[in-house]
Amino acid sequence: MLGYVAIGIPCGILCDSIGLNALQVFLLSALFYSGAGQFMIPNMWLAGSPVASIIASVSLVNTRQMLYSAAFAPACKGAKKRLSFLFAATVTDESYGVNVQKFSEGGWSVGKATMVNLLSQSSWALSNVVGVLVGSALGIPLAIAAFAMTSIFICLMVTQKLSAANLVAMGVAFAGVYACKAAGLAGPAILVGAVLGVVAAIAFTWARRRG
Amino acid sequence: MDAPMDWGTFFLVFLACAATMLVCRVVPLFVLKGKNLPAGLEEALGFIPPAAFAALVANDLVSPGMFDAGLWPAAAPLVAAVVVAVVAVKTKSLLWCGVSGVAAYGLLTLI
Repeated sequence: MLGYVAIGIPCGILCDSIGLNALQVFLLSALFYSGAGQFMIPNMWLAGSPVASIIASVSLVNTRQMLYSAAFAPACKGAKKRLSFLFAATVTDESYGVNVQKFSEGGWSVGKATMVNLLSQSSWALSNVVGVLVGSALGIPLAIAAFAMTSIFICLMVTQKLSAANLVAMGVAFAGVYACKAAGLAGPAILVGAVLGVVAAIAFTWARRRG
Repeated sequence: MDAPMDWGTFFLVFLACAATMLVCRVVPLFVLKGKNLPAGLEEALGFIPPAAFAALVANDLVSPGMFDAGLWPAAAPLVAAVVVAVVAVKTKSLLWCGVSGVAAYGLLTLI
């Protein structure tokens, strides 16, 4: 829970900096509920990305949740539909890790897993709102608050499995963003870079299997 | 600084992102009923997080002409990024990465 508070407050501060109010940030945290996604929105808005590019990039990053959802399908086999829905709708990167471990240890239920998700969600939403209120009161320099966001992206990147194909994805995405900026396409740079990275990694695994 | 995001734009971004998120979170669990995702799709989806996070990091850290104003102002975030990467490998904790990143960047910009 402490992790959610420490990340939620800077996230709220950044959302405040692009003019979102406490109600808007609460809606985002409660219903969209994605740490990486909620950092991406102010980040891309500040970078001057067009709205379509923001939506496409955030949605692309959202697709990783399909892996989590698929992973929990066996555990939810016997559970009630409504409970399964609530559980599935509130899975995040962090609570996924916790629940996967608990399910594999046994003696864990979808109901208990949903409680973990809902507690995480409440602490996330509350700390985001605190961030908005603190942000407008303190006026923390944006460059420094924004580096909290960069740090989180670095952490998420470095803790990926460092397989050869993933490293290709990272390298090409990194270079792609730089190339887009050099070509004057700063707006869609993140989206284009990420898609290039995924395509390169698919091509790489395909070539390696044939070769 | 750019213009703030207005309510209309906010709603568009919010509803679109929340909708794709809900679909990604809920649909596989109900459609698969315990079966696995097709291997090719699972593999392709697995490449999205590393590519997307690398793109986000690159967007924050590098841009053409970043050293025009001298070496140090542009190198400070790069050095701070290395500090965060080390902390990330050692702790795997978002919390410590956020804290160490802000501290390192804050200290380096004071120099």
